Amino acid sequence: MSRTILDVTDLRKDYSQRRGLISMLTGQERVIPAVDGVSFYLRENETVGLVGESGCGKTTIGRTVLRLTDPSGGRIVFDGHDITRLSRAELRPLRREMQMIFQDLDAGLNPKMRVHAILREALTVYERPSDAEIARRIRELLEQVNLKDSKLANFPAELSGGEKRRVGIARVLAVRPRLIVADEPTSALDVSIQAQVVNLLRDLQKHLGLTYLFISHDLPVVELVSEKVAVMYLGRIVEMGLAESIAHQPRHPYTRILWSSLADKRSTEVRAPRTWGVFDFEQPVSGCRFAPRCPLYQDKGRPAVCTDPASEPPLRDLGKGHVVACHFA
Amino acid sequence: MDAPLLAVEDLRTYFYSRAKRAFIRSVDGVSLHVAPGETLGMVGESGSGKSVTALSAAGLVSAAPGVIGGRIDLRSNGTRRNLLDGLERYVRVQVQDGRIMAVEKDNRGWRRRAEALMQGVRGKEIAMIFQNPRSALNPYSTIGTQLVETIRLHTSAKGEGEARERALHWLERVRIDSPRLRFDNFPFGMSGGMCQRAMIAMALSAEPSLLIADEPTTGLDATIQSRIVELLAELKAETGTATLLISHDISVIQRLSDRIAVMYGGTVVETGRAAKVLAPQAEARHPYTAALLGSVPSADTIRRKSYLQAIEGEVLDTIEVPRGCRFYGRCNRVTEAIRENCAGLEPPLGEVAPGHKVRCWLYPAARNA
Repeated sequence: MSRTILDVTDLRKDYSQRRGLISMLTGQERVIPAVDGVSFYLRENETVGLVGESGCGKTTIGRTVLRLTDPSGGRIVFDGHDITRLSRAELRPLRREMQMIFQDLDAGLNPKMRVHAILREALTVYERPSDAEIARRIRELLEQVNLKDSKLANFPAELSGGEKRRVGIARVLAVRPRLIVADEPTSALDVSIQAQVVNLLRDLQKHLGLTYLFISHDLPVVELVSEKVAVMYLGRIVEMGLAESIAHQPRHPYTRILWSSLADKRSTEVRAPRTWGVFDFEQPVSGCRFAPRCPLYQDKGRPAVCTDPASEPPLRDLGKGHVVACHFA
Repeated sequence: MDAPLLAVEDLRTYFYSRAKRAFIRSVDGVSLHVAPGETLGMVGESGSGKSVTALSAAGLVSAAPGVIGGRIDLRSNGTRRNLLDGLERYVRVQVQDGRIMAVEKDNRGWRRRAEALMQGVRGKEIAMIFQNPRSALNPYSTIGTQLVETIRLHTSAKGEGEARERALHWLERVRIDSPRLRFDNFPFGMSGGMCQRAMIAMALSAEPSLLIADEPTTGLDATIQSRIVELLAELKAETGTATLLISHDISVIQRLSDRIAVMYGGTVVETGRAAKVLAPQAEARHPYTAALLGSVPSADTIRRKSYLQAIEGEVLDTIEVPRGCRFYGRCNRVTEAIRENCAGLEPPLGEVAPGHKVRCWLYPAARNA
């Protein structure tokens, strides 16, 4: 079994929100727990998918495990080093091993630099290679991401979406990372180009032994690329397990809703309308945070345990690494 | 078959790109029709011209040169009117080797004439739902006020009280919970899904004969998306409004459309009944449609963890339109027998089965057409 490259325990990230003059004066602020006690690990050369609706904390997790923002609590261990409290200087040598692909295609692509200069810069961040070495590496990178030589002279604005994505990936590969957090790497692209990028990411993983934390709301793609999938709701992981069991034998009612909404869109029969609201960080929740939208909670006749403030359901182990946070699943 | 409610013929809409110093042929000879009560789904990648086709039909293209030719026939109250009637005399196009060299357009004359033709059509006969509901709603006035305004302007309910009743009724019909409360909400106080519902209510409250839904679910969360799709399906069954539905999400198109038009590089490359075009084993199919369907992970792909069938290359930018088939450069089904045709001559839309047309040299229908 391959070893663990990233181990996250009870990760927390609060964002504070100041509102208006009075709270400013009194110093009171409202705290939004964007990530609220999340634990998971990644084994070398595997992909873990992170899914959930927008605002559930997926991206915050990605940014926090790379220490792009500071965690409010918990522990992040990367390759045996506890990086939770490392200073910027101490982090620097580790940074090159863990990189992020951003959702925004233009992120990290300086609009005033040609592709060649962008890649050259990335190659010289941590090393001082000779010009010949740089030229060799750039050729290698272009080959890895399947980009034409002629694009080197282009500015980012002259590239198509797919090409920008490839340059972004090449730039990340330039520092030879081991862990890549891919935050919605395909959502800004067209379907046909999405498929190219998904294939490319899988190829790179195979050849370079990369480990991915794959954040996406595109469920079929996540199921395709991931070994394990974690489903998030309101800052917590509510279910996690092997990709095929999450997709085909989901246990948590929220996971079921997510995957069935995919099937609903495809089916041609008209179903009886079901109602559930949207989630809201600002609404105080007691007990299970999914209860206000939960069909199971309604079906069971609103059991008290679901809204008992003292018993937020913990992640229970169902065997084979499948965990679920629901009293009834 | 019923006479079509909307019939678009040889529509051409071009734009000028300053950055590229060239004309972009966003819509380049599109013909399609929508029958009363029917939903026509338009699929294709971004830049394929689906939105611009719809915007042209609604007379909402403002960038120059914009619509330069074609017919848009709309039937309403038993009469047909061409929304581009007599407009061609304001435009002159110079073409050289498949590249647009210059477009002369008398924009003021065109605009005056077009606005006169659109009078009483836009908003009333043709209503639209856009991708981003929040930007289409007025942020300074409540949902209720905006609905009442639409209803008083476009329907027989001219009185304040009557219009208000209807507005509340519409909020209920689009399943907005506690409509009386939401009536006084501003768009910023509502979620994206709720805004989209309000937008749908507003579009339908004018009782249009044609609804244009441009990416109505894009940008919403997966669970909300399926709710909106469900709502659109229910309203379609209830009101029977003819709909031009635009989406790049094949599952949405599949769920809601009766017929489908697949667009590529500013033209329709395949059209036919939804069940035929999207059938897992279609007898005849445009290679682009096949590739589009293949780039979405299927149950089989996922199970076997195989690679997705990506379409190599990039979406056509329609500046320099190739002489042959627009998909030729990316097509993986070119055979030696047809290569010469593919490279040199744009195939016509050939009828491969009744009502099912494919623009591809693979099929004898195109060769005989």
